[in-house]
Amino acid sequence: MDCLEFRRLAGADPQRPGPEALAHADACPRCAAHLRQLRTLDVRIRAALEVPVRASGWIPDVAAAPARGLDRRRWLALAASIVGGVLVGTLLWVGGPRDSLAQDLMEHLTHEPEALVATSVAEEPTELRSVLERGGIRLRPEVGTVSYANSCRFRGHTVPHLVVQTDGGPVMVMVLRHERPAAPASFREQGYAGRILPAGPGSIAVIGAREADLGRVAAEVLAAVEWLE
Amino acid sequence: MNAPFAGKDGEAAFARLCEALRPDLYRFAFWLARDRNVAEDVVQESLLRAWRSRDGLAEAAAAKPWLLTIIRREHARLYERKRHETVPVDELVASDSPELGATEDPQVLDVRRAILALDDDYREPLVLQVLMGLSTREIAEQLGLTQAAVLSRLFRARHKLRRVLGSAADGEDD
Repeated sequence: MDCLEFRRLAGADPQRPGPEALAHADACPRCAAHLRQLRTLDVRIRAALEVPVRASGWIPDVAAAPARGLDRRRWLALAASIVGGVLVGTLLWVGGPRDSLAQDLMEHLTHEPEALVATSVAEEPTELRSVLERGGIRLRPEVGTVSYANSCRFRGHTVPHLVVQTDGGPVMVMVLRHERPAAPASFREQGYAGRILPAGPGSIAVIGAREADLGRVAAEVLAAVEWLE
Repeated sequence: MNAPFAGKDGEAAFARLCEALRPDLYRFAFWLARDRNVAEDVVQESLLRAWRSRDGLAEAAAAKPWLLTIIRREHARLYERKRHETVPVDELVASDSPELGATEDPQVLDVRRAILALDDDYREPLVLQVLMGLSTREIAEQLGLTQAAVLSRLFRARHKLRRVLGSAADGEDD
């Protein structure tokens, strides 16, 4: 692969340019720098695309529909069904189903609370490298200070459990190669906010105390993780 | 046929899925329409349609692309039915424009302006990739394009953004 082909591939999909392109970047410092630039741009694009969404769920939005001309009786029957369904769903979601991925992540966090502390002390580089290798990933330094790294058993697999120090405080990052959610998900529990984002072959979960910063942090982590194999 | 969203359990699961996806579906609709009110209408109508048809969905993993397809069709249908008043991008990007959303970060606003100014052909695949997390193959299926065409549009979208945002250091991308 030459530099021109690399740039066409990387420009189209910086997160997943393919193994040949990644091999080229390993051997070509200029293209590696170009890829980093593109990934940084993607973090900015992601942040820009996340326009604010009304706080209300879709029940009030749906409830407004008859005023815009839907058949009222049909809508009322449908709305009753939706409200029931959403209430059940919301209760399950907010309460946290015991077998949900979000719940398992929260349980894992509470097992290692000492990891999630604000500190400027970085994890030992050899330990960090070892955890990342075992998890089949690389992490670019732009992500910030990694203060904690451990290979943890989670849902039957050994996965990297990291704590990244951000402007908004420490954030737990779990790289879940074996968990592929159908869609991005957000949750709030026990004073923490979390996001689970499909990434690479699996997903990345990010949990922190400040929900406002979480989207940006999650996007940065997403851009910083390179999946090996 | 396996129907993960049929019955009472399926109803709750579908409601939960819609609740989780709604923010990004709204954002996708916004970037299609570049208008908050239209985006809200599109998402409402789409979720209603999806709710009515949820029994026919054969697998949970297909729910997201299916919902995106409904949003795209609903957006097109709304435009066929009603000509919306269009707002020039220059006006849209005025600092107090609600379409840009409240943000304290001027860099985010700059990127948002640049994305708003992209042609639809470039903006839509970019949103599907970066915001919705679709692969280039999935985007090709969603838009009815070849994968090569999607790669080309994504490349051009980023190239244009880099030029506008001043981060294209050289002309080697062309």
